[in-house]
Amino acid sequence: MPKLIIDDIPVEVAEGTTVLEAAQSVDIPIPHFCWHPALGKAGACRVCAVKMLEGPVKGIQMSCMLPVQEGMVVSTTDPEAVAMRRAVIEWLMINHPHDCPVCDEGGECQLQDFTIAGGHGIRRYSGKKRTHVNQYLGPYIEHEMNRCIQCYRCVRFYQEYAGGTDFGVMGSAGRVYFGRFQEGQLESPFSGNLVDICPTGVFTDKTARFRARYWDYDMAPSVCPHCSLGCNTTPVARYRELLKTVARRNEAVNDWFICDRGRFSNSVVNDPLRPRRAVVDSRETGVAEALEALQLRIRDIEEQYGPGSIAVVGSSRMAQEAAELLPQLAHRIGAGALCFSTTRKEQVETLALLELLSAGRSASQQDVRNSDCIVIYGCDPLNEAPMMAMAARQAWRAGAKVYLIGQGISLPCEVTECTALEDVPLAEAERPIIICNVSVRVELLDKLQESHSHLKIAGLFPAANSFGAAQVMRETGAISLEEALADGEIKGIIAIEADIPAALLDGIPFVAALDWLAAAAVQAAQIVIPTTAWVEMDGSYINYEGRAQQFSKVMNPGVPIKGLDPNGHPPHSHRTVAPGGEALPAWQLLATLIKLLDDDSRGLS
Amino acid sequence: MKILSDIAALLTGMWITWKHMFRRPVTIQYPEEKRQPYPRYRARIVLTRDPDGGERCVACQLCSAACPVDCISMQPTEDTDGRRSAEWFRINFARCIFCGLCAEACPTLAIQMTPDFEICTRDIMDLVYEKEDLLIDGCGKSSHYNFYRHAGIGVTQPRGNGAEELPPVDVRGLLP
Repeated sequence: MPKLIIDDIPVEVAEGTTVLEAAQSVDIPIPHFCWHPALGKAGACRVCAVKMLEGPVKGIQMSCMLPVQEGMVVSTTDPEAVAMRRAVIEWLMINHPHDCPVCDEGGECQLQDFTIAGGHGIRRYSGKKRTHVNQYLGPYIEHEMNRCIQCYRCVRFYQEYAGGTDFGVMGSAGRVYFGRFQEGQLESPFSGNLVDICPTGVFTDKTARFRARYWDYDMAPSVCPHCSLGCNTTPVARYRELLKTVARRNEAVNDWFICDRGRFSNSVVNDPLRPRRAVVDSRETGVAEALEALQLRIRDIEEQYGPGSIAVVGSSRMAQEAAELLPQLAHRIGAGALCFSTTRKEQVETLALLELLSAGRSASQQDVRNSDCIVIYGCDPLNEAPMMAMAARQAWRAGAKVYLIGQGISLPCEVTECTALEDVPLAEAERPIIICNVSVRVELLDKLQESHSHLKIAGLFPAANSFGAAQVMRETGAISLEEALADGEIKGIIAIEADIPAALLDGIPFVAALDWLAAAAVQAAQIVIPTTAWVEMDGSYINYEGRAQQFSKVMNPGVPIKGLDPNGHPPHSHRTVAPGGEALPAWQLLATLIKLLDDDSRGLS
Repeated sequence: MKILSDIAALLTGMWITWKHMFRRPVTIQYPEEKRQPYPRYRARIVLTRDPDGGERCVACQLCSAACPVDCISMQPTEDTDGRRSAEWFRINFARCIFCGLCAEACPTLAIQMTPDFEICTRDIMDLVYEKEDLLIDGCGKSSHYNFYRHAGIGVTQPRGNGAEELPPVDVRGLLP
């Protein structure tokens, strides 16, 4: 391992590390635009200049391009290096427009930060700025090419990292242009990462266009709820409106990026049709009253139809905290059934996959990226869990073979099509991984694992907390709702964040729904109690590999200020709770309901 | 002789008082009499318009960020012509300390301070000014500046026709 000295600090790093990374490892920041940990170096921006005082190379060098060598002495503060970096910033600003006040990147812009850090304030160049014509890139991404500083990050990400083919670089010299050959929506399901990766405002999030500034954001570390991968995100909210979602780095899970589904599915939280007030028999009321009404109604149903006439129904999209409380609620009310799934098929498949993955053979996204042999077995990762396809592509870029068993499935990498698992040379691979979903024939994989001890499995579940819910299902012997309703004994359903088909609710005399989505159960229910969405609460999801990940509260629940007042102003009156802000996390409602039932059975109420 | 110095001190004080009786008073009988403050006096805040009549404010949020008492709030929005403007803009003058940091922070010269300091009311909620209360029909102190002419992204003029811009690049051109 070569040793070098950076700003008088001795550093020892692995062979092949660049001087920039070596400096970062001892917390010496070196400005950079084109270099990115996930994309590597390009040497395009010239802003990471350092001076080499001693060693095999001397003078001003680009720290991102230079691998460390024994005996290097590096100075980041040498006047010559500082002057070079300042000059680079100044020439990058020569063509940059004067539009920070109307740019959505303002406040979270790397170019802005480094311009200020470099001390460039007054324009000395008297020539004119080059301009470009923008392109329409679809409803999600805004294009403003005048701001471009030619770092090539976007095209390196889009083509090399994500495997997109419809976006590239055109022109030469001062005319370099990043865009599509013709206007149109970006085709890659990872195109939203251009927003994160652009060091300035060429690509900005169109769904959050002109909405807020970085310093006003409500932000917290969160987990994506849109598939079972559990990619780490940072949702951004302002004035009780979820504006956008950006990727949060987690090396073991999603690394630096997220897919477009996770990034652009924010409107569901701001939906005006969301249940915001508690409703008892079509009458709006407070949450506490609704819970008491629900407790009384549970007793009524039991008296009327006998014990065991109520089914408690959860789902695999509810947070783990609520899923754990559900069996307790079912126990307290002596429920006839506890359900986490609608159909028997779904129940059996989920439990079987859980059994398979519980054996410690589960592969994380990082395992997939580091694998040398990947089998896509009867699933469509690009649609079911896009980041899994991205991980497979990274493995393929590093030299892994990708085998595909299945019809009509496209992947962002080269694949070898096979007809059966026997055709795949699993024994020759060092770190083989099979990517499958719940519809897989588990016995087959079970048998395969016996003969291949190093085989890992990435099993894609249908929802964010399917793994956690399935664990509760297995421990408590929960059955599917279909089975529970088969004998007609169930006369009441308490649906907690459950997606029950409307047909199954027909003929059930009593339905109560605790949900934040306008699900079918909410439409049919006599008692509705609003719960909070994942961004409005603390909780945790267990992802497809059994990794429990916490998410934090990003914003307070309530109707967004936008559209609240017909005159367009936010209200002038004061109140303690925001309109529609009474919603509570499902686990909190369940805990209160359990306590009410306990107090009642002990004669305390 | 302590007594003599004491008398001298008393007489000096009396002399100064007596002398001032014949000077012009510096106080005025407000509100019957009024004094016009200097143009750069920092009182009631206004939002100005550019020389072409458009709203100068682009709701960039710099004034609300600079405000030490958090009395400015706004919501930016996009107009049909691509201009960024304030959907609503609110200054709570009950909280404002008239420090002028907002006017200093404003990159488009939209927010300016006027010498009108007489804004007391009986109801404190009347001091919450909305955009229509703040917006004036004029340029205020700088009559020539239009931010969008210099911004370099083309909103008030076609792209590449701004003050310091070259015409848009032809990416497919083969000339060097």
